[in-house]
Amino acid sequence: MAIKILSVDDSRTIRLIVGKAFRPYAVTLLEAANGEEGLVVAAREKPDLVILDVTMPVMDGVTMLTKLKEDPALKGIPVIMLTAESGRENVLQIARLGVRDYLVKPFKEDQLLEKVGRCVTLEKRPVVVAPA
Amino acid sequence: MTRTIQIPNICEFMSRHLVDVFETMLSMKAAPRTGEGAPMFEERVTGCVAFAGDHINGAVYLHLGTPFATRIAAAMLGLEPTDLGEAEVNDVVGEVTNMLTGGLKSWLCDSGAECAVSTPAIIRGSAFTIEAVPDVEREWLIFECGPDRIVVEIHVRIG
Repeated sequence: MAIKILSVDDSRTIRLIVGKAFRPYAVTLLEAANGEEGLVVAAREKPDLVILDVTMPVMDGVTMLTKLKEDPALKGIPVIMLTAESGRENVLQIARLGVRDYLVKPFKEDQLLEKVGRCVTLEKRPVVVAPA
Repeated sequence: MTRTIQIPNICEFMSRHLVDVFETMLSMKAAPRTGEGAPMFEERVTGCVAFAGDHINGAVYLHLGTPFATRIAAAMLGLEPTDLGEAEVNDVVGEVTNMLTGGLKSWLCDSGAECAVSTPAIIRGSAFTIEAVPDVEREWLIFECGPDRIVVEIHVRIG
């Protein structure tokens, strides 16, 4: 059964890059463009993992993460934060919020898969061979 | 602490960071060009992200010729250039500008100049100029990437 990963990012580019990385794997990718939408999708779909951008309009990643951790039904979902800012203070703030891991943009697909693979089991999609 | 932040340091950081962003996200080799004026693009896509804090504020502009911007978007999204519309190209150029400015923000914060960054904006066209307001220092960094040119324009006001 495919695992569910929720990508929350205001950049469609990043959501597409994340989707491209998981294409070979049995993953159902869910998307949201900000924290507010992300909370709605998380409550409805109960994803196995959330990949969460920090800086977004409407509701940023830090606020979404805080609300996620306050919700007994959602607080156990592992979260990997994506950030364009690698500064010490930023990284410390993210770590204090209880994320499983974080990834600094720019990132390579392999780095994303490695960090996700530490949180959930990624299985290759079965290859379907068409009958002759 | 902000005394150590000067335009040459910012340019030096940005030169390294742009090369890293293009290598990591696009598998493209960009190399700084010295002694070369900013190229005149027939048509260009410009990404802009502003930064502002108590001790420093400014903006980073990323100028790309439209055909090159389209190829960059295709490379980043794993699609053919012909499959892309303006919206996809704008989004990729905005995201690359965001990564450049996000890195600069981290460097500034680690140097003691806390600041925040805006969300990206895009300007498209062939005949526009960007004027700097008084007291703002402005620098251009030129990079070559194969036959194409990348221009980073940095506006900074310190203090």
